[in-house]
Amino acid sequence: MENVKKAGWTHRVVVTVLMVYLLLPLLATFLYAFAKEWQATILPERWTLEWFSQLFGDVRFLDALWKSFYLCAISVALSLVVMLPAVFVITVYFPKWESFMKGIVVLPYAVPGVVAAVGLIRAYSQGPINIAGTAYILIGAYFIVILPYMYQGIRNSLLTVSAVDLLHSAELLGATQTRAFINVILPNIWPGIITSTLLSFSVLFGEFVLTNMLVGGHIQTIQVYLYQRLGESGHLASAIAISYFLFILALSMILMKLGQKMNRGIEG
Amino acid sequence: MSAYLELQGIRKQFGDANVLNHVNLKIAEGEMVTLLGPSGCGKSTLLRCVAGLTEIDEGQIILAQKNIVHVPPRNREIGMVFQSYGLFPNMTVSENIEYGMKMRGASKEERRKRSDELLAIVDLEDKRHHYPRQLSGGQQQRVALARSLAVQPKVLLLDEPLSALDAKIRKSLRTEIREIQKRFNMTTIFVTHDQEEALIVSDRVCLMNKGNIVQEGTPEAIYTTPRTEFVARFMGSYNVLTRPEVLSLFGQVDSGSESFAIRPESVVLLSEETRSEAIGTGKHIVDGTVHSTTILGNVLRYSVLAAGVRLTIDALNDSRSLRVGQNSPVSIALDASRLLHLEKEGA
Repeated sequence: MENVKKAGWTHRVVVTVLMVYLLLPLLATFLYAFAKEWQATILPERWTLEWFSQLFGDVRFLDALWKSFYLCAISVALSLVVMLPAVFVITVYFPKWESFMKGIVVLPYAVPGVVAAVGLIRAYSQGPINIAGTAYILIGAYFIVILPYMYQGIRNSLLTVSAVDLLHSAELLGATQTRAFINVILPNIWPGIITSTLLSFSVLFGEFVLTNMLVGGHIQTIQVYLYQRLGESGHLASAIAISYFLFILALSMILMKLGQKMNRGIEG
Repeated sequence: MSAYLELQGIRKQFGDANVLNHVNLKIAEGEMVTLLGPSGCGKSTLLRCVAGLTEIDEGQIILAQKNIVHVPPRNREIGMVFQSYGLFPNMTVSENIEYGMKMRGASKEERRKRSDELLAIVDLEDKRHHYPRQLSGGQQQRVALARSLAVQPKVLLLDEPLSALDAKIRKSLRTEIREIQKRFNMTTIFVTHDQEEALIVSDRVCLMNKGNIVQEGTPEAIYTTPRTEFVARFMGSYNVLTRPEVLSLFGQVDSGSESFAIRPESVVLLSEETRSEAIGTGKHIVDGTVHSTTILGNVLRYSVLAAGVRLTIDALNDSRSLRVGQNSPVSIALDASRLLHLEKEGA
């Protein structure tokens, strides 16, 4: 990319303003998490690690963090296992169903979290599937919440690499459909899949309304924990927010690196 | 002609639309046949049916004395090159070429040897470790060609392989494809919508329209003797005339045809001197006016209005050719023996 025009000052200003807008609240939260006293000055008067030591000294925090992590991980993994073959089959063999699927997957946007939660609790607190208040109902709900991201992400990756043409080429060269999927389709849609996975994971990690209503009293995720301790101290809440931000950041970076390693052929 | 590949009564419907109407086609071993036609005429569908990527509703596909209708694509021993190349982005050029052999269980040395041979043929030996995205469109299509030849298919199918390339590459690659096809004596079906491409590369051209093969023959025959109005229009630049138009130009006509065609180079534009020479040669001389003149390189194309009929006339662009301005009066000479009598559509 040698002939990319150098960005003019207007572009720089726009980007700078955007960055400030996005990062300023984060920076303030960050400072607040380390502040001992911060009232009448621009920067805190005294610094402390008290909030973090309090936080990490609390077993419930690490417990909540771990719970959030594995609940989200299970939901995303489950979604991947179900959606990847499903979207592949629809895109390649039943393109007519696409418009129908498009409608279905945006339904989670159309139903407000509160409504969904009440409906789910009613439906699953009696009868054969009595799972209200358990992790199962949460995982089920999470699966639905990330449906749009997973569907669109996988579908777009398939379309971008013209999966149908690749599949046909491989088949005519003598590959079975399963083999063609594994050594031709999968390696090429991987970057897109990683992105949707990350996005879904972050969305679930920050989800509060559904979680709190469905299992708030039974299972303490990081968001539920954050909400409970919000009232105690703003500093502590800031520390929680910062910790979980860094956690997501680290996780994203690991996944990205992993994705790049698997795709040295595609990016490079 | 002994048929190596034979299509018998192929029918395909998508919903209510008949995409292929009992298509019959015989192809000899080593022959290169072009399916030519406008978009939506069914040519690509027919190709995909042969490959097994689209199931047919009715008919037989006989390849080397074997009916392959129920054979899955991977066992049909048919190679195919797509308009979009279809190269695997995660594999290098040589990995792409060797993929088919790998699926068929060839040894590493064997694969290596064959891919080296093919890379030499398509002139990409120095690109073997490149990834497809590092190659130009023309190079990618050559890799795709090499990849489909690597497994030594019985038939090679080319689905508009040149349509995504720019004009210059298209011209050189079509010659290259033809040379490679002859070298391997590869039975080939080439699909295109470009009549020039079809005339240049093929042994035989099948012109398709609305799910039927409307005319087939050598490039020469298809070009010089279109059977119907559709063929005449599709093969380009023919003056297609209705019966009243022919009557007003020639005065009379000795056939019951409703439509006629005459090639633009068979009509001669006359200057004052040549007009007097032309009288008495049995040609019909008609007066008219020039509507426009276009230079197509070595050919001058005039649009002339004569006896109320708009005619396209081609003449060699040399020192003797007539330079006439818009609306200047001219005369034209028409030879009745050059007038083609066209059959009714679908007859």
